[in-house]
Amino acid sequence: VPHCPPEQLALAALGEALPEDDAAHLADCVPCRSEVDSLRRAVDVLAVPALATPGPAVSPPPRVWDAIAASTGVTVAPRAPAADRPVPGDPSRRRPGRRWLAVAGLLLVGLGVGAGTVALTRSPDVGGTVVAHTALHPMFRAGASGSATVREDGTTRVLEVDLRAPVLEEGYYEVWLMETGAQLMVPVGVLHPGDTDLPLPDGLDLAAYPLVDVSIEPLDGDPAHSGRSVVRGRLPG
Amino acid sequence: LPLVNPYGQQMAGEGDLLTPPGRATDDAEVARRFCAGDEQTLAWAYERWAGQVHGMAVRAFGPGPDAEDVTQQTFVSAWTGRAGYTPAQGPLPAWLVGICRHRIADTWVRLARQRRSTGTAAAGARSRTAGAAPGGVDDAVADRVLLLGELDLLGQPQRGIIELAFFEDLTHAQIATRTGIPLGTVKSHIRRTLERLRDRLEVDGAALPS
Repeated sequence: VPHCPPEQLALAALGEALPEDDAAHLADCVPCRSEVDSLRRAVDVLAVPALATPGPAVSPPPRVWDAIAASTGVTVAPRAPAADRPVPGDPSRRRPGRRWLAVAGLLLVGLGVGAGTVALTRSPDVGGTVVAHTALHPMFRAGASGSATVREDGTTRVLEVDLRAPVLEEGYYEVWLMETGAQLMVPVGVLHPGDTDLPLPDGLDLAAYPLVDVSIEPLDGDPAHSGRSVVRGRLPG
Repeated sequence: LPLVNPYGQQMAGEGDLLTPPGRATDDAEVARRFCAGDEQTLAWAYERWAGQVHGMAVRAFGPGPDAEDVTQQTFVSAWTGRAGYTPAQGPLPAWLVGICRHRIADTWVRLARQRRSTGTAAAGARSRTAGAAPGGVDDAVADRVLLLGELDLLGQPQRGIIELAFFEDLTHAQIATRTGIPLGTVKSHIRRTLERLRDRLEVDGAALPS
């Protein structure tokens, strides 16, 4: 089997979806995966939110200009404080990562994300029977991971998510159950890093929505999935 | 919309992100006179773009002295280093944003050093083993400084391409559309640049500059 082209491995390091053949190869090829990992180090170092293209403008206090003038010896002054000259909003600013939804299918086929396990054991510390469990795998550059467990107690089901991910400075984590094509989805609730228990809707068919997806959602009032998935796993069954 | 875009004039919508409507020609004039050393243009650049720069700094450090230092140093660096800028490199605000990234990374290093010296002082009674703790935050901040410096050494269009991938999260196909550079060329530039950055990390990475 031929290895992935070097350019494709670089794109994988950037978190892009690969063609199905390459993705399938990458899933099973240790040298190709280690090449992606080595190229991804630079991506992890630089592709961080604090260095990304500017978002909302924040007016600096007047003392900032005073310090600049003192350092440079420039005697002119801004005609108005930056506060009074707002840079216009950018409603057309790209919402990042819509593509990650489309990636789902490829990842599931190619990277074997659905490596869940079925367990029918009594959870020792919490009530209810574990009906399904899956590890949650990082989707992008997030450095996140976790696990998801569905427990059932009588007729009530709870989704327990153990999310290992950074605390967000902006926005919040939300967990979803998705069908395999990642087109239809049910929002389950808001998550914090760590353990969170969320009730599942009665009657929801887990077999139809087997993907557990955690996304970063902006506080923008838009209830739709942002496309910025950080981890995903597949419940067996 | 483009921001970190080295292809300046070719791009539809260039500068829209940072520039109020109807000001585009003014911005070009500001950029031209800025590198000519016209003092007034520092004030103009501040009026127009300090909000964006400070917004980045606040996103990195929260509001307060660290963010204000970053904004101040960005404009001071831009002014003292204006000989290093020409309008042909792209819009002035994009250049300012690039400088701001450096100042943010420098501030991470300074804060890491402060944490380290505080930690060393606290540990001094127990151990005389000083120096940087291996791994962790120190390595990450040092690597950022290292790689931002390496980006500065890239020619165009390589630099613009990788910046669009890193800082605007564009796919290679989106980058090709945005820049008009053929898809295959974009891919091979991405590959070579990631290799170059990897090599730089392997040679010099993970050491806090002293």
